[in-house]
Amino acid sequence: MQLHFIDYGIIGLYFLFVLGIGFLLKKRIKTANDFLMSTRNIPLWITSLAFISANLGAQEVLGMAANGAKYGLYTAHFYWLGAVFAMVFLGLFMMPFYYGSKARSVPEYLKLRFDEKTRTFNAFTFAAMTIFSSGISLYALAMLMQTILGWDFNVSIWVAAGIVLAYTFLGGLTSAVYNEVLQFFLIVLGIAPLIYIGMQQAGGLHGILANVENAKLHLWKGMSNPAGNPMGTDAFSMIFGLGFVLAFGYWCTDFLVVQRAMISHNLNDARRTPIIAALPKIFMPLIVIVPGIILLALQKQFTGFELPKNINGQTDYNMVLPLLLSKLYPSGILGVGITALIASFMSGMAGNVTAFNTVFTFDIYQSHIKKHASEKHYLNVGKATTVVGILLSILTAYVARGFNSIMDLLQLVFSFVNAPLFATFLLGMFWKKSTANGAFWGLLSGTGTAAITYSLTMAEGKGGSIANLHTFYSGTSQAFNIAWISFTVCFIVTAIISFFTKRKPENELVGLVYSLTPRQQDKNRIRYKNPLWVAVIVLAITLFLNILFY
Amino acid sequence: MNKFFDLRFVIGAFFFVVGLMLLIYSLTNPTIEHAAVNRGCGFTFLIFAIVMMLLAISKKPQDKL
Repeated sequence: MQLHFIDYGIIGLYFLFVLGIGFLLKKRIKTANDFLMSTRNIPLWITSLAFISANLGAQEVLGMAANGAKYGLYTAHFYWLGAVFAMVFLGLFMMPFYYGSKARSVPEYLKLRFDEKTRTFNAFTFAAMTIFSSGISLYALAMLMQTILGWDFNVSIWVAAGIVLAYTFLGGLTSAVYNEVLQFFLIVLGIAPLIYIGMQQAGGLHGILANVENAKLHLWKGMSNPAGNPMGTDAFSMIFGLGFVLAFGYWCTDFLVVQRAMISHNLNDARRTPIIAALPKIFMPLIVIVPGIILLALQKQFTGFELPKNINGQTDYNMVLPLLLSKLYPSGILGVGITALIASFMSGMAGNVTAFNTVFTFDIYQSHIKKHASEKHYLNVGKATTVVGILLSILTAYVARGFNSIMDLLQLVFSFVNAPLFATFLLGMFWKKSTANGAFWGLLSGTGTAAITYSLTMAEGKGGSIANLHTFYSGTSQAFNIAWISFTVCFIVTAIISFFTKRKPENELVGLVYSLTPRQQDKNRIRYKNPLWVAVIVLAITLFLNILFY
Repeated sequence: MNKFFDLRFVIGAFFFVVGLMLLIYSLTNPTIEHAAVNRGCGFTFLIFAIVMMLLAISKKPQDKL
């Protein structure tokens, strides 16, 4: 792929704007609260777009296009079965407790509801996960730039990391969030023309229907049997594993996204943030999945659209989007497309680093190292943590270079951590009898069960390090099953131990548990300001799409 | 002056410049393959940019940088 002067000009302009935003926000940062929490003062439309943009990193943009080619429209289940319902649940039922409890982070909520050890366990696993994820984003960016543009790996890593460091160090969380909004528009407007051009070249809707395998153009057809659908999964693991456990586990408990709602002006805005974010999220498959399906149609009709092989000799589906950009975009808009990819990687990285510095400063440093220090001290710790977070991400990126399976490992870590955590939150928020010891041991056993299940099963040649008791049709199916099994174990262990251990007095749980918290009547007569009404619209559209693409 | 530091204005300004670059490039290089794509995208980006900047100017500043 050959870039021209105009393409470099657009990339340079983007770098200038993201740094400019950080620089302009510098004067706002006076306390640790400004730097790490944006003083809970961000408007609704910004928090909503940042909410989905924080998730729009490398795995989402490249990964979903790859899944689009691999599994077809089945990939839309991640949105129309998983994300949307989870985001509505978060807004309607969980956000009042996150926001109302005045917790500054998800681990801090665990401290208020349970105890310090549960918080610390979650803080450490989350911090490790964010660094891992940020480093992978950086690695993927550098690899992509090296493969498609011939840029030097080291230069790509240090330039991208340097820019993210500059704007997050200058403007903190606010800068990351504001840049995420710019990145959101850039990703959507930079990739949307690809859909139009690709569809035209593929022969429009008729060309897609005629050239793509029918099983890849449906959402639910063939779900009764794993062998009958491209994802190789069954209805139970899809609905319970992905739709309930994995999606709810990620969208409702991962501080990276929840943090974007927690910085809203007020509780109503915090509740509406994920629900309003669900509206554009419904249509994201058009941007991130459809390119994969278009590629399948183009491969049938033309030569030159074959995907390259990775170092293991397997088809490298991650190259779907770069391949389409290089084949369909002329220079000019190509610069916008490449900038959109860079923006998605940087957005993912900045989101992880800002979540990492908040959790480290409040849940590890303030909680275990220095309890009572000045605001300025915690501001400096937050800034220093940002630098350390970026350096650790760079280190992870270099480590990832030496291990080609580290991306799979990352996906696995998500299912190990988030799936059991959702069981802990579900019991913690909605069952007043759950205890601190129950939550801690439940979480530990759920995470352990996930590791054991992975070691006893295999999919696509991965897993089964102890023995192979079962082989799944695909890695995705394996992840769904690990998720529901670890969730169930965590749920049962937490419930059993809670029956035999001492629970907190009820007066300490007001504002933290559903049954002990007075309901807030939403008297808002303006329907679009009422979270329930917005949720009904979002769910109606989602159900309609599920039926339409049955 | 404050309105120029509204996030909507900043996003609008970014896409205005990119749109303008694409339009100028498509007009100065009409022979390039798919030049119409750059023209169409440049025009769309300009419209989007103007809408964002108008929103920033017409509404009260709520997300000033």
